[in-house]
Amino acid sequence: MAATTAPRTSKSREDRAESVAAYALIAIPMILFLILNIGSVAYALFISLWEWNVRSGPVEFLGLGNYAATLTDPIFLRGITNSLYYAAVWVPLTMIIGLGLAVIVNQKIRGRTFFRAAFYFPAIASSAAITILWIFIVSPEGLFNVVRGAMGLNPLFELLGFGPKQNWIGDQDTALNSIIILNAWTTSGTFMLFYLASLQSIPGQVYEAAAIDGAGPWSTFRHITFPLLKPGHYFVATVAVIGALQLFDQAAIAGGPGGDPNNSLMTMVVYLYNAAFLQFKFGYAAAVGIVLFIFIFGATLIQRRLFGQAPSW
Amino acid sequence: MRRLLVLTAVASLIAAACGSGNPSSAPTTGAATPATSVAPPGTSASPDASAPTGYDPTAITGTAQLSGWRSSPEEGEALTQALLGFPAAYPNIAVDYKPIAGDYRAVMITKISSGEVPDLFYVNADYAGEWIDQGFLAPLDDYIAESGFDTSQFFDGYASIFKGKDGKTYGFPKDGNTIAMARNTELAPTAPATMDELITAATALKGKDGIEAPICLNPGLDRGLAFLYAQGGSLVSEDGTTEQISTDPSKVAVQWYMDLFKDGLGKTAAEMGSGWCGEALGKGQVAFAFEGGWVDPFMVSTFPDTKYAWAPMPTGSSGSPVTISFTVSYSIGADSVNKDQAFVLLSYLAGPEGMAKWTAGGVALPSRKDVPTPAGKEVLAESSTFARPGSGFMPGYVDVQKAFQDAFTAEIQAATYNGAAVVDATKAAIDKALSQ
Repeated sequence: MAATTAPRTSKSREDRAESVAAYALIAIPMILFLILNIGSVAYALFISLWEWNVRSGPVEFLGLGNYAATLTDPIFLRGITNSLYYAAVWVPLTMIIGLGLAVIVNQKIRGRTFFRAAFYFPAIASSAAITILWIFIVSPEGLFNVVRGAMGLNPLFELLGFGPKQNWIGDQDTALNSIIILNAWTTSGTFMLFYLASLQSIPGQVYEAAAIDGAGPWSTFRHITFPLLKPGHYFVATVAVIGALQLFDQAAIAGGPGGDPNNSLMTMVVYLYNAAFLQFKFGYAAAVGIVLFIFIFGATLIQRRLFGQAPSW
Repeated sequence: MRRLLVLTAVASLIAAACGSGNPSSAPTTGAATPATSVAPPGTSASPDASAPTGYDPTAITGTAQLSGWRSSPEEGEALTQALLGFPAAYPNIAVDYKPIAGDYRAVMITKISSGEVPDLFYVNADYAGEWIDQGFLAPLDDYIAESGFDTSQFFDGYASIFKGKDGKTYGFPKDGNTIAMARNTELAPTAPATMDELITAATALKGKDGIEAPICLNPGLDRGLAFLYAQGGSLVSEDGTTEQISTDPSKVAVQWYMDLFKDGLGKTAAEMGSGWCGEALGKGQVAFAFEGGWVDPFMVSTFPDTKYAWAPMPTGSSGSPVTISFTVSYSIGADSVNKDQAFVLLSYLAGPEGMAKWTAGGVALPSRKDVPTPAGKEVLAESSTFARPGSGFMPGYVDVQKAFQDAFTAEIQAATYNGAAVVDATKAAIDKALSQ
């Protein structure tokens, strides 16, 4: 009997030691997470209830006054509209491009490693540098206007109401769409990687069976690949919507903290930055941040309802 | 063995997390003091400001951290030159110059909120009022009284912006700049003296090969305000308490400015693919640009072949010469640690010697009457005599500026050119600002 109990005691002591070590290892990042993430959100919630002086702290308790002000602030409401429009257009566009790139680089083609790296490169380059480069490209004298002119496409653009020297980023009607295209280009590589991982987890036998049944490439994609990518769609859409609603750097670099021209590049986060650092209204800015959190959380819950539980096979 | 390895790893992580913080930053070489290797001895001596003793700035020891933005290499060089003379006068105070890159206001707000404020720093007139009201800046009156610093030499138009509602002084204007007319002398050999002459000259140049537009204009009040004043308009009354944008002269002035765009006489720099009007002037895209002295070092370094000359802002229908000016102060933070040392540095940089060295760099004009005008800046300096503040003259001006610019931009981009819409939007912003 002693021979059978001794190994079990040794094993449970070992398990306990492993558990202690595991908790100890995650303790530090968890403490940091609780303080820096959860704690920051809680502090922002507290600040949002006050008129807050940057230097001296709470000035006057406002309750929900800051939140009421957000509902009547035309510039913030414009920021919400812009952010929702951006998400509604950019998310599906970038998902489609990312999925397309993933399907392409998933094929056994020559140089696919190079293409994977090339498509992903904009995602790791500095967003500030790329945005400045983009501003030059879409300026009146920029590369885009010059190339389309050289290709004889100006009459087509004239029909759409755009002159040969259209200022794409400086025109209030095209500024946000310019940013959408910029970000669709830079982020599609990231989504390509996400979809690639999902594609490569689809069992090959499924495709073999489809081939035996005589399914062509489009049919295979439509009836097999696309549905089986549901986990990928769910993940990419969730990440994309969260990122879209938090659009800041490209809009702020192109339009400044004022969302110029004429608030066309004002997003919720740009407005939060404006309220905090240009208007010094930290309480109001915190309320804007909480409203943004509610939007993102709500969007995530809706997506979860739409996509259901992330399936696996 | 395995357990020992795991525990060692955990201990290492804990040690790393609790390890020493970032090393404190050493004084930057950007302080440009020849004697940077000679640190001032010991802790600072802080003379009691209330003690009725003679003020001896040379007896004050320690470090003064100076901060501000650096908008161009020329500006950095000019400040370096200005700081060179400080150690000779005050060898016991070391200057630790740390310029702030990026969004200056945002960085300063984080420093103010954390209590780690530079000792002496720039404050733009745009937001000086807000910073004073929020208690970010230290009043200087006690220092002024103790040191006997002569503030009467500052141009009142600059100095008044840095006075709080309590009448106290919260900064000295480190320089000023006025808006004047820079014209391409090959395209416009003669300087128009009135707005009517400007329109005549611009009309003659309209459609000329090689230029995008006769005049480079801004859709905001940063330049538009000068035209508004020239045409007899105004945003608020002299005492800043009553809205005046909706008066008839102001409405006419706004529409007159809008018509410059409508008639194709003016375009924004962005429409021409330039970052600002100075660049448009340098590229030869326009014949006239309304800018300040910061154009000179830019043109010398970037567009040396473009020939241009300065002329005062043309006189408008108001009948009197008028333009707008901008200024920035040196101020001490309410939470600055080395206030005594900072005031010594402030009195040097804003004094006649330091300001003369700074303005010799060509970036800005003196804000003092006893500092000679740098060569080539005579027109800009003369404009100071009839310049009105271009910012900081009313609370919430940043919001008023934004409202004007947004509405103006909307009108010119939609090609509706309706000045009334701009007046309405600006009036709403002014009413809100004055009510707070």
